[in-house]
Amino acid sequence: MLLDLHTHSIKSDDGRAKVENYCQWIKAKNIPIDGFVLTEHRQFDAESGYSDLAEKFGLTILKASEVETEYGHVLVYGVTEALTQAFDFASIKLSLEMVLEVSEAHGAVAVPCHPGRPRVGMFAHTEELGIPKGVKIVEIYNGGSRDKEDQIAIDNAQALGYLGIGGSDSHIVSHIGRCATRFDEKIENIDDLVTALKTGKFEAVTLKESV
Amino acid sequence: MSISSISEVEFGVDLPVFEPDTSLETASKFATLVGWGGARFTDHEAARKEGLPGAMVPGILSQGYLVAMIHNWAPSAEVKSIDTVFRAAVIADEKHQITGVVTDINEDDKLVEIDITVANEKGETRVFGTASVQIP
Repeated sequence: MLLDLHTHSIKSDDGRAKVENYCQWIKAKNIPIDGFVLTEHRQFDAESGYSDLAEKFGLTILKASEVETEYGHVLVYGVTEALTQAFDFASIKLSLEMVLEVSEAHGAVAVPCHPGRPRVGMFAHTEELGIPKGVKIVEIYNGGSRDKEDQIAIDNAQALGYLGIGGSDSHIVSHIGRCATRFDEKIENIDDLVTALKTGKFEAVTLKESV
Repeated sequence: MSISSISEVEFGVDLPVFEPDTSLETASKFATLVGWGGARFTDHEAARKEGLPGAMVPGILSQGYLVAMIHNWAPSAEVKSIDTVFRAAVIADEKHQITGVVTDINEDDKLVEIDITVANEKGETRVFGTASVQIP
C-alpha cells in the first residue's frame, strides 16, 4: 500500500489545494498512491472530516501535523487532543527532542522532514547543535527537494541508522504523489499508520520520474 | 491548442508549456523600469556577493509570464487572481519552463483553477501557485 505521508491543503497558510481536488487528481491521472496524509503547518486540523471523500474516491485520507523546531520541520503522526495540549503546535521555536519525547509519550511518532534542506532541515543544524536524541525516522524523499537535498537526507539517515519515509510535500493539487511510502500492511486509519511506523515495516519511494 | 470557451476545458488538461525570457538583459531592464534596480537583478557577480547563486528574475516579471502563459492558452480569459509561493530564486540566464494544469472547473461561475509551476532545467520547482481564471 502506497501513502503520500506529507501533503498540505488550503488549511495551511501556504497550501493552495482543496482536498477534493487532490482526490480527483489522483484518480484522473492514475497517480499510483492509495491515499495521503494531510500535514498542515503548525496546527492539527481537528475539525475537518474527509471520510465522505475517502469513501467516494476509494482513498485513505488521514490527518497529522507539521511543526517547527530549532532543527527544522517535523511531521507528527498520531496527534491526539491531549498531545495538542502538551506543546504549542503554533510555535516556531519548539525543541526537537521535546517534540520527539512528548509525541512518543502520547503514542505518536515524530519524523523530521526534508532534513537535507538548508535552514528548515535537521541535517543543516546537526553540526552546530549536535545529533538530537530520539530520532528514529526521517523523511528521505521529499517532492519539493532541490539540488542534493534528498541525497543528503539518505546519506545521513544511513550513517545514523534512521529509517526513511517519503512524501510529496505538495501544496498544490498537481504535486501530490511525487514521493510516497510503501507499507506491507493495509493502512485504514491513523492508528494503523502509527503502528506501521513504529514497527518499521515501510519503505520510502520516489515517483518523481513517473508522476 | 488555445481555447475560447469553458465548455472546452477539461479537468487535468495541461496548458501549453511556456518558456519565459529569463535573460539577464530582460531581467535587468525590467527591474530598472519598475524601480528595482538593485545589483541582485542586474549583475551576476554582484548578486553572488550578496550570497545569491546569481542575478534573479524579478518576481513580478515571473508573475507576468504566468499570465502570458494563461493567455497563450485562453486568449479571452480574464485572470481573476494569481497566487504564488516563491520557493527559490529564478536565476537569470538559466532556462526555465512554466507549466500549468487545470485542477478545478466551476461551470456555474465559469471559473477555472490552474496549478502553475516554474521549474528550472533540473526540474526543481522554483515558484508554484494557483491562478483563478474566468473563461466565457
